[in-house]
Parts: sequence; structure tokens; C-alpha cells
Amino acid sequence: MSFQETLKAQRHNIRDYGMYIAFLAIVVFFTITTKGLFVSSRNIGNLVNATSYIAVLAVGMTLVIVIRHIDLSVGFLAGTLGAVAAMSLKYWHLPVSVTIPLVLALGVLAGLVTAFLVARMQIPAFVATLAGWLFYKGLLQLATRSRGTIIIENDIFNALGNGFIPDIPGIGFLPGVHKVTLLLGILAVILFIASEISNRKKTQAYHFEVLSPSMFILKLAFISAVIAGITWVLAGYQGLSWAAVVLLIVVLIYSYITSKTVIGRHIYAVGGNPEAAELNGISVKKITFLVFGSMGLLTALSGILYASWLRSATTIAGTGMELDAIAAAFVGGVAVAGGVGKVTGSIIGALVMASLTNGMNLLGWDISIQYIVRALVLAGAVVFDVATRKTGK
Amino acid sequence: MPETTAVVEMRNIKKNFAAVQALRGVDLVLRHNEVLGLMGDNAAGKSTLMKVLSGAYIPDEGEILIEGKKVHMADPLDARRLGIEMVYQDLALANNLDVTSNVFLGRETVSAQLIPIGVLDSRSMEQESKRLLDRLKIDIPSVRLLVERLSGGQRQAVAIARATAFNSKVIIMDEPTAALSVAAISKVLDLVRELKAQGASIIIISHRLEDIYSVSDRLVVMRQGRKVRDCPVTGDIDEFRERVVAYMIGARDDFANAVVD
Repeated sequence: MSFQETLKAQRHNIRDYGMYIAFLAIVVFFTITTKGLFVSSRNIGNLVNATSYIAVLAVGMTLVIVIRHIDLSVGFLAGTLGAVAAMSLKYWHLPVSVTIPLVLALGVLAGLVTAFLVARMQIPAFVATLAGWLFYKGLLQLATRSRGTIIIENDIFNALGNGFIPDIPGIGFLPGVHKVTLLLGILAVILFIASEISNRKKTQAYHFEVLSPSMFILKLAFISAVIAGITWVLAGYQGLSWAAVVLLIVVLIYSYITSKTVIGRHIYAVGGNPEAAELNGISVKKITFLVFGSMGLLTALSGILYASWLRSATTIAGTGMELDAIAAAFVGGVAVAGGVGKVTGSIIGALVMASLTNGMNLLGWDISIQYIVRALVLAGAVVFDVATRKTGK
Repeated sequence: MPETTAVVEMRNIKKNFAAVQALRGVDLVLRHNEVLGLMGDNAAGKSTLMKVLSGAYIPDEGEILIEGKKVHMADPLDARRLGIEMVYQDLALANNLDVTSNVFLGRETVSAQLIPIGVLDSRSMEQESKRLLDRLKIDIPSVRLLVERLSGGQRQAVAIARATAFNSKVIIMDEPTAALSVAAISKVLDLVRELKAQGASIIIISHRLEDIYSVSDRLVVMRQGRKVRDCPVTGDIDEFRERVVAYMIGARDDFANAVVD
């Protein structure tokens, strides 16, 4: 197969590739215009931490949109749950090991309440979660009214949003480079290559089509280079942050569930055709509860990351986060009509939006211009998405 | 055809929707390895009757026997467990998923069970659906194609393939040739013949007389919630058409004396 034919065969993947290329273009643009400041280890480290709580929300939002719903309540819910975490640590004197499970459980509960309204009471998700938006905004103000901002003084909790994974002390070579991060990066590359090769072999054993050898090696080399590059940049500052670790774990778990498990397939089936799913024995209600429950869990996680990052809970925590998460999902290729969209895409979407903000801040662009640029990128991404979907047919 | 036991026997099925008597005591028999055509004007009750058989509706009266055994079906999944598969008119396919996912929708093969999460055995499902499509001589280039990329005829074929994937006893097709091109219709009819050759028992609901004529062994005509005609498909098509139309519009009725209103 010639290269052009391969490209033609891969045309339906152009949506995915387009997003990665756009992300790369943004990175290159800001690297040049900020004279390298954008890709400095310190900036990338901060960028990852500032993206993590939105990216975690975007993962949950992806599934909510895939099953044709929306969740507007997650911003203030995250803020409220962050305040609960702060109060639990500061006023109830609960340890971190109790606080975090408690907040996560409350998040799941809140998600199930939304699911109850949507699946059982048949209230459109937009309305149900708009009510949730108001409700949690009120709850957050109620919780923080008497005390104002609640400062969190727990170091372990604050490390989640600000800390970095420890390094092995006393290694002489490569001074100033985080060795554990480097090691993890190398491990990730090896695991990635090994799993791709084993996957390819198994697929060939079943006589199914695989990428041509040259394309396969190109793909391996490109993704390995990206992982190695990110690792090198992160290792140059303080290494991998805990927030990045949390985000990576969330992405790995959710990618696996959505692409490799029965539940994942049923979620996409419900998004593609709820009536068909129901006729084939898939309970749309059950899936709705599951997806909103997971959204609640991730909202709680996002609230924890955000409160930890700020080392405090404020009366306005979470404002607008739901819209950032929704924007990230749409930029990442989630279809408004439901049924289509990958978790990894939404992460890239979140990174694209965060990189834009970060880069424009570094360049000192006016905040109003920043909004307009982000609007154009969001609209452009969706236009591209719709256009490639049409030609794909 | 050798005289065999009935795969399905429906006796005196009645179903009312508020004041409307949709089914007024219908008897229907499907024999082993038989293709039964079910015809009737709109609102004759044929779809309602098939929804009763596929478990979507629970009849007010009457009984259903599968291979001689009396059964009760509370929902479509019960019917499925008994080997009754329905190919819906709107096909009930998820267009955003690939062919394999649709064939196995709701009945995925699992390679490991991490309670409560089942891990998909994608390769064995792909292989199985490929084998299935080959066996039914269905022309689809890859089982990994998304259903939204298939033509109407190919989608119909996928829906039919799904109905045959799990050792079904009876396959019910609701208007399988509606909204298809002429070429696609002949392919679907070929598929029905192929299924029969492989031993399936099939009920086809259709408005298209030619299709029923070309693939069915026997014909049942319904009108106003009753069966008015039950006979083998014989004779030439013009004669067949004339007679069927007479029954459909109510000019003739073989079971008029059996009316119990």
C-alpha cells in the first residue's frame, strides 16, 4: 500500500489527527512567539497543574454528552465539594484519608441525584442541571458565608494540587533532572511499544487488517517521541506533579473502560440509539445513573484538586468550570448529537484551551482578545469536526 | 414439505388498546423451516401480533406455544431467550458503532470478568461476526466499518445477521424491504432464501406483495384484527395478487363464521 493510499484509508481518522496537529501547531506557535518560555519546564509544569481539574471534569462530561445529556451543575458542585473538603480538614478535624473518600462519596451521591431527575423523573438534563447549578451555587455561599475563604493548612492535601512526586536522593548523574520522572517516562515508552506490538501480532493472528509496517513504525516513533519529550521537559523542573499523576490515572481508567469493556460499549450504544439499546437489553436508565454517578465522582475529584491547588475554598470556587469542561469536550471531538467522542480527545481539548490561555497570558495579550481567540478556536474545532464527518461518509 | 411440529403456535390472541380491539382472537402457526408471509392493510394488526410474539406486548387473552410448550413473555428479552428474534423496521442499530458491535449488542462476548465490569473479547467477536456474514453471503467489506457508513441494504443485512447470530428458532422481519432500492431488495430476498436453506423459520411482514410471493411458503392475510386468509403460496403472481387484495380490502374472508365479538 502506498503512502497516499494509506492516508486515504485513514481518512476517517482525520478528525483525531487534526486535533493533535492543531495542538502541536499551538505549542509551536507559542514556543516561537514566547522565545521558548512556553515550553520551559516550569511553565509546562504549571500548565499541567492548572489543566488537571478541568481535564478531570472534561472526562466525565465526555460520557455525559455521549449519552446525549449535559451537566451544567459540575462547576459549583466542584466548588461546594472543595469547601466540604476544606471544612472537613479544618473544622471537623478529619484526616485526609477520611476527607477524600467522604468528598468522593458525596460527589457520587450528587451525581446520582442528577441521574434520578434525568432518568427517573424524565426532566431534560439541561433543566435538571441548571437547577443543580443554582442549588450548588447557593450551597457553596451558605457553606462559606460565615467564614469567607477557608484556608487549608493540611500539607498532604495541598500536595495533591501543588506537590511533585519524590525523587531518589543522592544520584550523581544528570544534576537538576528528576530521575523518577525520567524513569517513569522510559517505562511508559517501553510499555506503550510492547502493548502496540503485542496487539498488532494478535490482530494479525486473527487475519484482520493492520497498519502497514512503515506506518506502524512511524506511529510508534511519533508517540514515543511525544512521551519522551514531555517527560524530558517535566523532569527538568520538579518532575511529575501529583495532579498530573491523578489525571493520568483517570485517563487510563476511563480510556480502558470506554474502549475495552461491555459497559463502555453500552454507553456508546445508548448515545448512538437509545431505543435500539433498550431493545437489545441495555437499560438506558442504568447507563444514565452510571454516567452521572461517574460525573459526580470526577466532579468531587476536580473539586479536591482545585481546592488543593488554591490551598483554600472560596465563595466563588468552580465558577465557569462546567463551561470550560464542555468546551474542552467539544474541542476534543465530542459530537453534540451524542454517541461520538473519546476521553483522550477531551483531554487534548482541555490542553488546547489551557495552552491558549497560558500562551496568551505569557504574551501579555488583552483578556478580551483572549476570550475572542478562544471562541474562534472552539467554533473552528466544531466546524472542522462537522466538515470531516460529512466527507467521511 | 414434510409435516413437522409447529415452531410457533399462537392461539386466540386478543389485544385491546383502550377502546380499540387491535387483535380479535388470532390463531397463527409457523412450522419448522417455513417462511410465512404476513400481509394486511395498515392497522390490520400484523405488527401488533408480531409484537405480541416478540414480547413487546402482553396479550389480553390467548396462549403462545413454542415447540409445543406454553410460554409467557414479559418483555423482548424473554422472547429472545426463547429463541425469538425480531428485526425491527427501523432496524434498531446503533449507527455510531461498527458492524461487530451491533451484531453483539447487548450480548457481548467477555474475555474476563472484573466484577462488575466485563472485558470485551473484541477479536473473537470480530471473527465470529465475519464468519456469520460470510455464511449468510452478506457483502460488507469489513466488520469494523461503522454502520453509518453502510448502505440501507447492508444495514438491513446487519440487522438480520444479528437476529441469526444466537441460534434463534424464529426470525420475525418487519418490512425488511421497505425503503430499499430494487437491487438492495433482491439482495435481502436472497438473504431470506439463504436463511431458509440453512434451516431457519421466518415470518415476514410486508406491504410488497411481490416480495412475499417470491420468498414465502405460506401466506396469512389479516384485516381489522383478524386472520382472513391462511393458505400456501401457489399459482402465478397475477392471480395471487388479485386474490390477496380481495382479502385485504375485505371482499373475501375465509374465517367469517369464526368471528366472536
